[in-house]
Amino acid sequence: MILSNTGCRYTKYGFSLLRYTSTSPQVIPENVIDVQQNQKNPLDYPDYFGVHNLFTVKDLFDARVHYGHKIGSLNDNMRSYIYGSRLGHLIFDLDTTAEHLRKALNFTAHIAYRGGIICFFNRNSLNAHIVEKTAMECGEYAHTRFWRGGIFTNANQQFGAITRLPDLCIFLNTQNNILNQHTAVRDSAKMLIPTIGIVDSNCNPNLVSYPVPGNDDSPTAIELYCKLFKSAIIRGKEERRKFLQETE
Amino acid sequence: MIPFRNIKPRYFTRSLLNGIEKSNHLIRVLNLCSYSNIPSYSDSGNEIDKDISQEKLSGFAKAFEKQSQILENPEEEKSYTFASLLRNSKLMDLGDPVGKTVIGKIFHVVEDDLYIDFGWKFHCVCTRPNLRGEEYVRGTRVRIQINDLELSSRFLGSSTDLTLLEADCKLLGIISTPTKPAVSVN
Repeated sequence: MILSNTGCRYTKYGFSLLRYTSTSPQVIPENVIDVQQNQKNPLDYPDYFGVHNLFTVKDLFDARVHYGHKIGSLNDNMRSYIYGSRLGHLIFDLDTTAEHLRKALNFTAHIAYRGGIICFFNRNSLNAHIVEKTAMECGEYAHTRFWRGGIFTNANQQFGAITRLPDLCIFLNTQNNILNQHTAVRDSAKMLIPTIGIVDSNCNPNLVSYPVPGNDDSPTAIELYCKLFKSAIIRGKEERRKFLQETE
Repeated sequence: MIPFRNIKPRYFTRSLLNGIEKSNHLIRVLNLCSYSNIPSYSDSGNEIDKDISQEKLSGFAKAFEKQSQILENPEEEKSYTFASLLRNSKLMDLGDPVGKTVIGKIFHVVEDDLYIDFGWKFHCVCTRPNLRGEEYVRGTRVRIQINDLELSSRFLGSSTDLTLLEADCKLLGIISTPTKPAVSVN
């Protein structure tokens, strides 16, 4: 027992004792094991936080989520999310949108439950203030200004200290301006940060982990998304607070 | 009873009144004549029983109870499908948007530029007219005529359209202003 714990190597001429490495499992006291077995694991449930009840398709419709741009600016990768085009103006299929939005909200709630840092992004100046306000209200972060190149990829040098990057990036508009995608979409993918992105008909959903096809230009749509994400985050944090209180 | 919900109660009462009175009358006639070979007699036996119990609440009383129950029942939440919502939406009513007149509301003002939201994905920006110019403030409802719902076009050499993220509309006139509230009847 002792020999195997100390990581010794059996050589041709007996054995040589290497540096002591503890490979025995850490013993968890029994009362904690019982508590953990009695408590529900949120990952066992498809919708532990009840985020599916936060909205209906009619809410999405009233908030103008189904409006897309014109056919001329359609990104090929967005074709599967489009219901059709009305005299050149694209309409999103809200059933698909609802399904994607539920997955995204569920993921957000789980990340918030685990104590993750969430960062909101929106480079559209019309809606930037709403996004910043939402982030403040749910105790998370937002970045709606100019994005310097190496914020994620060169964080330690840019901020001068060891930096903790966000655990989830929510893009309420994946575009920087009409022509370019936001650099943080690509950088999050590089740094293995999961992303949720509201992708309009002119956006590229490829690098986004949880794309939500929908309108990202109307203030009503952005307000709805902000409200939903805020509720999901607050629910996740509430559960976390309860869990921590129980285990104390 | 769903088809009857749209009809006003008094018509319902009247028709039901007539119907019940007529049916009661008919059955009493049959009873008196005692035609046993009429096939409906055996059915009408049940109907007579029913009528006896219903006779206590027939005509106006029965209708009144039914109507009050209808009003008390909570409206079932209709489940809308996206397809039905879209089909009955104002966008479909618009048809070809070019040249159509819609009502918009000013949500932002920058000196002489008015940002008008008319329920579409984008807003439109119009210049303040000279006539009644000071009445165009935030919250004013205006009539606008749509020229184009989205200012976007393909430029030479590019693979996708370039959008201006704005609609193009002509300002026609004011509907209501907060500066001049409607006269209230005292």
